[in-house]
Amino acid sequence: MRQAMHSLTTLLTVFFLALISGAPALAEKLVSAVSSSHVAITSNFTGTEILVYGEIARDAETVSRTGNQDVVVVVEGPLERVTTWRKDRIVGLWINATSQTYIAVPSFYAVHATDDLRNIASDDWLKQYRIGLEHLPLAALGTRAPALERNAFKAAFLRSRVQNGLYSQMSKSINFLSPTLFSTTVDLPATIPTGDYKVTTFLFSGGVLLDQQEQVLTVAKTGFEQVTFNLSRQHPAVYGALAIILALFTGWLAGVIFKKD
Amino acid sequence: MTRGAILQIYLPIAELPINVFMIFAMGGTVGFLSGLFGIGGGFLLTPLLIFSGIPPAVSVATVTTQIVASSASGVLSYWRKAGIDFKLAGVLLCSGIVGSAIGVWIFGILRSLGQLDLVISLAYVTFLGTIGVLMLGESMKAIMRRKSGKAPAGRKPGQHNWVHGLPFKVRFRRSKLYVSVIPIFGIGSSIGFLGSVLGIGGGFMMVPALIYLLRVPANIVIGTSLLQILGTMAVATFLHAINTQSVDIVLALTLMIGGVIGAQFGAQVGQGMRGEHLRLGLGLLVLLVGLRFAFNLIVEPEDLYSVSVIEEPVK
Repeated sequence: MRQAMHSLTTLLTVFFLALISGAPALAEKLVSAVSSSHVAITSNFTGTEILVYGEIARDAETVSRTGNQDVVVVVEGPLERVTTWRKDRIVGLWINATSQTYIAVPSFYAVHATDDLRNIASDDWLKQYRIGLEHLPLAALGTRAPALERNAFKAAFLRSRVQNGLYSQMSKSINFLSPTLFSTTVDLPATIPTGDYKVTTFLFSGGVLLDQQEQVLTVAKTGFEQVTFNLSRQHPAVYGALAIILALFTGWLAGVIFKKD
Repeated sequence: MTRGAILQIYLPIAELPINVFMIFAMGGTVGFLSGLFGIGGGFLLTPLLIFSGIPPAVSVATVTTQIVASSASGVLSYWRKAGIDFKLAGVLLCSGIVGSAIGVWIFGILRSLGQLDLVISLAYVTFLGTIGVLMLGESMKAIMRRKSGKAPAGRKPGQHNWVHGLPFKVRFRRSKLYVSVIPIFGIGSSIGFLGSVLGIGGGFMMVPALIYLLRVPANIVIGTSLLQILGTMAVATFLHAINTQSVDIVLALTLMIGGVIGAQFGAQVGQGMRGEHLRLGLGLLVLLVGLRFAFNLIVEPEDLYSVSVIEEPVK
């Protein structure tokens, strides 16, 4: 009887364990956060950095898995429309001759990962979630240029963005503080555009996406910079008049100060 | 939070940080030269800003504001000396406003076509090249003349050229002139146009045009030209603020302060120099800036590709 009871308990436990680990891939949850949800652009703004951190949470019963888990953090700025120009020599002068226009490309894009992206997931996954510079959807607007040409423009666009720090891709840049705690710092250069940024954290294991978390980061001018910028956009006539008055006043002041008699 | 932020200041319209002392020094240097040569210096300042990484649109629009400030102090001092022909300046100004409105309009179109940089470069090469060569030639001749001991040919009363045969004549008492308004309108509008497209006041073109074409007396010409530039550039600033929205008030103020201080020192040094030597120096300077632009157009760029953002980021 006791024997039977024991077997039943064992059976139930096994059954229960089987139940919760029935979909072992879903047992891991991701919790992530950004050090600050606002970046303020003030008069002495020369760029900043944000800390993205989080934890891979496991149910207490989950057996610790030995399979490699990978975390990817993607920071994406507001979308914009850009044109990439290529100069050609026309009558001896180097002139912007051909162009390709991309609509809805991120104004800022940074991807940090625990490993090389190609070791983390297949291209299909990466493309679907816009992970990695080469997986950004850069479709040129109304172009019939051959693929070679399109790729040359795409490469030039990415190169330019990487050079001025607006795009970056860093593998093995996420640190694990403990087997489950991770963190990474993302550089925001001084020229970052304002607007709402999307910070997405992905958890991959064995090439499969287990979980993802999204936070919003707002980059905005504050104080004087904000007032000035808004005035120039919302009341351009007032802004223009102020600029003229300021110039006249400065000129007059200089004339008075340096008056020679 | 901030790295090496002591010297940096964020420009709210250009949307990038710059080194205050670099801009201050630029304003000061150009101010010094403008005081030395009696010019606005826009044709030097705009290229300097562009070459230092400030977007061409912001550079051009902001320099128009800076020119308002630098010409305002000049106008004041000429006003005190009664060195301004207000009627002539008024006619020039009206035509300048027309030219500058067309200029700002075309500026916006060129910017959307992606050819603004090209037009700015070509215009700089053409105008600065031509004027630089003319100035060099004229000042060299004057220096040779002085060396050979001949007296310079002065303005003879009753001396006329083709300009004086044109209709719609108007009398300008202060300048002792009776000329057609057509050439005045032509000079005013073309310089207003160039001013708003290139971010230059055009004093270095206006003064010779007034002297050689209209025969405006030398004691009136600079004050009148300055007043016209002040008016045209104030209008250009206003139109740029409305149309291209690229006037950066922080950048403008930094440039103004450097500029007005530099101009005072320049003017003191300039008083101790000979006119033709000054013109020779100015001619060389103008030519050098023109050549710098020509160099960029002719030599194959390191990177053939460039990226420009068309719209504001989607809000």
